[in-house]
Amino acid sequence: MKGTLFVFGDNVDTDVIAPGGYLHLGMDQLLIHTMEALDPDFHRTVKKGDIIIAGENFGSGSSREQAPLVLRDAGISFVAAKSFARIFFRNSFNVGLPLALISDVSAVRNRHEVEYDLENGYIKDLTGGGEVAIEVPKGPLMDILNSGGMINFVRQELEKIRGKSGPG
Amino acid sequence: MVSHTMAEKILSRSAGREVHSGEYVWASPDLIYIHDILGPLTYDVYRQMNEGKGFYTGKFVIVHDHIFPPKDIQSAENVQQMKQFSRELDAEFVKGGEGIEHTLLVERGIIKPGQLILGGDSHTVTSGAVGAMGIGMGSTDIAATLALGRNWFMVPDTMKIMLSGEYPEFVTSKDIILKILGEIGVNGANYRAMEFHSDDGLKLSLDDRLSLSNMTVEAGAKAGMCVPSDEVFRYYADMGENVEEILPDSSAKYFSQINLDVTDLRPQVARPFSPDNVVDVSEVKGIELDQVYIGNCANGTLSDLREAAEILKGSQVHSRVRLIVVPATRNIYKKALDEGLIKKLVDAGATIAPSTCGACAGLHMGVLGKGETALSNTNRNYRGRMGHPESRVYLSGTYVCAASAIEGKISDPREFA
Repeated sequence: MKGTLFVFGDNVDTDVIAPGGYLHLGMDQLLIHTMEALDPDFHRTVKKGDIIIAGENFGSGSSREQAPLVLRDAGISFVAAKSFARIFFRNSFNVGLPLALISDVSAVRNRHEVEYDLENGYIKDLTGGGEVAIEVPKGPLMDILNSGGMINFVRQELEKIRGKSGPG
Repeated sequence: MVSHTMAEKILSRSAGREVHSGEYVWASPDLIYIHDILGPLTYDVYRQMNEGKGFYTGKFVIVHDHIFPPKDIQSAENVQQMKQFSRELDAEFVKGGEGIEHTLLVERGIIKPGQLILGGDSHTVTSGAVGAMGIGMGSTDIAATLALGRNWFMVPDTMKIMLSGEYPEFVTSKDIILKILGEIGVNGANYRAMEFHSDDGLKLSLDDRLSLSNMTVEAGAKAGMCVPSDEVFRYYADMGENVEEILPDSSAKYFSQINLDVTDLRPQVARPFSPDNVVDVSEVKGIELDQVYIGNCANGTLSDLREAAEILKGSQVHSRVRLIVVPATRNIYKKALDEGLIKKLVDAGATIAPSTCGACAGLHMGVLGKGETALSNTNRNYRGRMGHPESRVYLSGTYVCAASAIEGKISDPREFA
């Protein structure tokens, strides 16, 4: 896959990703304000297949699931960061925004075109030629991911429970 | 003998087996609560998962607090949706104006010590004030728990915070939590629980505890629990509530320990744009303000209103500054009226707003314009948190807020009196 790389720093918070004042208006409004406090052009330039690299504690702050949703809806394929805030981490997998861990970000540059492969774990800077390794986290989330996300996981679990105990 | 932290004990009870930090468990919470901003997405996701009631058997409460009164058609319709959701799932719906959920549910005894609590709001950690394990989650996780009756948790490591000493004048628990945030940073407790202990010399009131637990999420904590005192248990006994006394074992294993003697603590201020960007008030004195905001889920307590009135009584708010005071619950508002606090505040030029999350989250009732600067006793000062991306928010305790409202610039209450 290819796309444009957006690089952000440490502690990118959920108010920056999904500003509170637009939350009650729905995803359309959030899409034109996402990341504006850090990069006013982001929402105009981001397109399907682009990716984000960030530093520590990406997604800190609120529990608003609209944060990973708006990045997913903006076309972001995945976010690779040195670490993620706890609630954002869960929310992202639940809504189908993959996350990856990255330790060294020095070989790739903001707004460069990159080629990437989540499964094989790399991001290659097509302009500068550098490459960085990424790692997809492991854990009990795999059951949920393998079911196709949390909604499907719950539907399957409910079918299993109700199948055993009869309808209702 | 195996010994446990509060987080391990509470998750062991809820999972039905003995668990230790680092384990993944499936557990059922005692209480789930959501609000009018993040609730609609929960409803939407829930309906994609399940029709009608699910397998969750605990208490489910929906509180209208974030945009109250509704400021536009969309926010009014979001509340209608929440009423519908509460009917479908037999949830308790708390109408707007009663209070901000985290404070209100403690006040009403719905949040109880020792409980496992899920909230669709990151400040659900506030319920740690009474020794509950309050965990914030997103809409899909909340919906999944309502449908399945359980969800997965990682049993967190715990950081022990040992508090001692005596409060100096004009220093409160808000300064304690700001000081700790400054030391450990906004990532300092990510994935972990924080557990507050205090020695016999330092009495932490319930309002102190609300203030401490509330901002633990600003360090990334999954839960922030104060070890309940006899006073906390008495609070529930007086309401006729039976609660389980879950206390940490004295030999429990902690990830780390922080000791803080409050005797030498000075009023603290967090500068933009991060709650861990903390300095003594002396370092930011003189910064000019457009707005001062007092009151949110942790610091709209009666103690905060008393502190504000103590400073503002007989003075006038600076002509350039709007001072907005938000009692966290209707009951706190009533008590403040009875004590004459509201009159003192209004005489000084404060505006009393209804109990709402309001401007703390940049929603309404005090949103900042481009280039404006606010001082607030709330919990977050991220870029754009209270309005325009180029506005600035400083965070402090209520004494600093009140003194600064009079001066029109950040001021040290100790020099003010």
